[in-house]
Amino acid sequence: MKLRLCLYLAAISVVMAAAAPLRPARRPRYGGTLRVEIGAIVKSLDPSVAAANPEEAEAKDELDALLYDRRSESGAFAGAAGSGPFRLSAWEAGKSAVFAANEDYREGRPFVDSIEIQMGRSPRDRLLDLELNKADFAQIPAELARQATDRGVRVSTSQPDELLALVFLKGRTATENARVREAIVRCIDQAAIVNFILQKEGEPAGGLLPQWSSGTAFLFVAEEDARHAKEIWSQISPSPKLVLGYDSADALEQSVAERIVVNAKEAGISLMSRAMPNSETTSAHTGNVGPRGDTIHVDARLIRLRMPSPLPSVSLTSFADTLGPTTGIEVNPVPEDASPEDIYNCERSIISSGRVAPLVWLPQVYGLSARVHDWKQPAAGGSWPLADVWLDSMPETH
Amino acid sequence: MTFRSKLFVNFMIALLLSVGLVTTGVTVVTRHAFDELDREHTDALVAQFQREFERRGHDVLHRVQGIADAEPTVRMAIDLSRPNADISVYVNDAKGVAQSHQLDFLDFVGTDGSIISSAEWSARFGYKMEWVTQKEDWASRGSFLTKLDTQDGSALALMAVATVRVGDKDLFVVGGERLGKDFLASLVLPSNMRALLYLNLDPKFEPANLIDNAGPVNEAERFEPIIERERAQPSVQTAKIDWTIDAASSEIFHVIPQLGRQNELLGVLLIGNSQRSVVTLERHILWLAIGVAAIGLLFGLMLSWWAAARVTRPVQKLAAGAQEVADGNWNTRVVVRGRDEVGQLAQSFNQMTQQLVDQRERLIQSERVAAWREVARRLAHELKNPLFPLQTTVENLQKASSQNPEQFEEVFRESTGILLSEIENLKAIVGRFSDFAKMPQPELATVDLNDVVRNVEKLFEAQFGAVGRPPITPELHLAENLPKIQADATLLRRAVENLILNAMDAMPAGGVLMLKTSNGDGDVHLEVSDTGTGLTPEETERIFTPYYTTKQHGTGLGLAIVQAIVADHGGRISVESESGVGTAFHVELPTRPPHHQSAPVVIEQEEKEEA
Repeated sequence: MKLRLCLYLAAISVVMAAAAPLRPARRPRYGGTLRVEIGAIVKSLDPSVAAANPEEAEAKDELDALLYDRRSESGAFAGAAGSGPFRLSAWEAGKSAVFAANEDYREGRPFVDSIEIQMGRSPRDRLLDLELNKADFAQIPAELARQATDRGVRVSTSQPDELLALVFLKGRTATENARVREAIVRCIDQAAIVNFILQKEGEPAGGLLPQWSSGTAFLFVAEEDARHAKEIWSQISPSPKLVLGYDSADALEQSVAERIVVNAKEAGISLMSRAMPNSETTSAHTGNVGPRGDTIHVDARLIRLRMPSPLPSVSLTSFADTLGPTTGIEVNPVPEDASPEDIYNCERSIISSGRVAPLVWLPQVYGLSARVHDWKQPAAGGSWPLADVWLDSMPETH
Repeated sequence: MTFRSKLFVNFMIALLLSVGLVTTGVTVVTRHAFDELDREHTDALVAQFQREFERRGHDVLHRVQGIADAEPTVRMAIDLSRPNADISVYVNDAKGVAQSHQLDFLDFVGTDGSIISSAEWSARFGYKMEWVTQKEDWASRGSFLTKLDTQDGSALALMAVATVRVGDKDLFVVGGERLGKDFLASLVLPSNMRALLYLNLDPKFEPANLIDNAGPVNEAERFEPIIERERAQPSVQTAKIDWTIDAASSEIFHVIPQLGRQNELLGVLLIGNSQRSVVTLERHILWLAIGVAAIGLLFGLMLSWWAAARVTRPVQKLAAGAQEVADGNWNTRVVVRGRDEVGQLAQSFNQMTQQLVDQRERLIQSERVAAWREVARRLAHELKNPLFPLQTTVENLQKASSQNPEQFEEVFRESTGILLSEIENLKAIVGRFSDFAKMPQPELATVDLNDVVRNVEKLFEAQFGAVGRPPITPELHLAENLPKIQADATLLRRAVENLILNAMDAMPAGGVLMLKTSNGDGDVHLEVSDTGTGLTPEETERIFTPYYTTKQHGTGLGLAIVQAIVADHGGRISVESESGVGTAFHVELPTRPPHHQSAPVVIEQEEKEEA
């Protein structure tokens, strides 16, 4: 009963937060070009063409949301291109795209006349362009949010909806011993990761789902205890030498992996980090595990799990689908209308396996120029609502 | 080996020793010079290393101090001195500052030793770097070597520490450079030298920790004994490594320990000097010496041969002259011109031979006189015996003619008979002397001495066992494979007969007569021994003197004839006897009698050779 009450209160707070306007109400204005910068390189906007990597898939999903109106039952876009709020007016594969407002959009013409999209921009470049007012909208890594704020960039931060976790891969002799896994998990200082690496943009994670979604996250407490980890490790004989993998293209994963190595070293654990090519890592964002994920020998690796939906049951099912092939955890599908207790029990069973160690919850951070109005954070799994924003008449800088 | 050969060999040995000594001397001097040069190079390189080390240290200290004095660092120190300061905002600062100041290592460390930001190991924030907080005056300390933990493992670093003090709190700026291949690459080395650095970062020797300016060194395990010695007792030392069996591949390393703040061994600098140039030069010198020696030896060979010949030719003449004298040619003369020692020796030699000839002449004269005296004595003795009956008979005839004419006829008949008998006796005596005087010269032919001995022994067999005479037992010990000799068989037979007769006379009571032949060195031996009464020493000395005899009826010519025959064959006869035991005669006959030259031999140096 107590648990159920907590869940209700959490849901109410989420709804109220989403309903609150970002800015004082002003009269919207039509016109202008919204300059967007993304890090991914999108080669094709055709929904039937598969993306080369999770980053491209995610960006392609956002761009397709501008072109297509409806989604099919499977979640993919359907219908003709241009049925969405925008139509493609210029396209240079992998470099840039220009979307023009669809005057005939069934929900009405978007406020902006067009959206210019620059692809392949690094986080530093995106932050710099926002700072120099060369871009109106860009997603920036959570660890740079504080830096962006310090530089005067307007930042919009979502609820934490992405989990960075440590997973122990199945079939690895070294990590089959539960004591080995426990020693490693115990030595990790999550607070330091949040405070220093993420610059306080994030939350230490104990469970798979954030508190705002499941309402039960407070029941999963991960406490660092390096001394205990050291004791456990000293009892393991022979002590194995472990390798922790991370996505070579992910700066955050690299920083976290290196920190975990330091934590392990201080506890006397032999652990080294190793970068894995982007193609070798699990596509955690989309919930797919790459077929060649195990070609590079690592005993454990970092993985990002992004919630596909605000609904805890949907996210948990997605997480379980992602983790299952990698870790060997077998979880029964959670129905969408599953009770909070069922969701909690499912989450608990995954955590108890000792093969997944949630580290931190990450928010989605967007940088906005001062002329962007009526930006609303999309819900978990939702697309950028760029059709709803409008630009004031501030001169554009090129 | 001849004197000339010996002299030549001595010349050659002296020449070889001289060339060897010169070669060795040049090699030693060259090596010493190269060693000196190598030492100077090494000293210069070590000094350069020290200077570079100090320069880098000053540079590092300067840059670290510059970072500490910079406005952002001071602001950081002020910010961190506040209560509940948020240090997370500075966690990424070190990397950028290190890049801008071109430092490999940079850490901002709080007053409690906690790492605020680390350039070389960004994930190490929050952990302690306790040695920085130790009480030490970092400003006066300057730069120092230290072992530093990095994300990629331990590293050897040239570090400096600067302090920013705000109130009672310190912010330590710890920065430095990696001491590795880049540092070694900055050293300017001669072509035959190289610098290696062993990073003493692990408890045991790790080959990968030995680097040069290109990275890890090949065959680093060969350095393990050197490094282990340094680890046990850090000190400057020298070591040599032979990379292959070729001496030119050798490399001499000057080993210099690199110590840290606590005098702990952190690194070992090895300055290697290849011996290839030295060995190559030594080989060139050696080959040159061998070439010079070969030419010298050839020249020396000819010179030695000429010198030895020049020195030994007069000596050879002297030796030939001496040999002639030894062969009996006392009239030999050696003609050697010059007034040196050899000339004087030749002169003395000639004087000596002249004196020998003179003495021989005098000896012959005196011997001849003595012989005539002996002959006269013997003749007088021999003739005295028949002359006395002759005188008595003639006196009886005179007496009978005057006193008893009636008996004269009878006395005359008897006396003439006696007279004829004594005259016959005198004729026999004269005949024996005549025979001795008519001793013929040997007519040489190939003779088997064993056959001669066997034949003579057969002639006497009847007499050995004659009736009425005590028996004499002959024993023959004839050597097999006795070489045949050049001799006169008739004379030899006569000599053997005389020796056997002499032995039979010495054994009136019978005994054993032994005839023995044996092979000598270039001659054959004959021994005739008896078991008779033997001789006194005085008799032994005079036994071969003509007309000397110890017997009642002997002429004293038997053994003299034997000695004459043996001497005419170039041989030698001797006797040994023991009174009451027996006597043995030893005859030595050469297989080929020497040729006797009666004319003087003059060994003269040819004018051409003398020139």
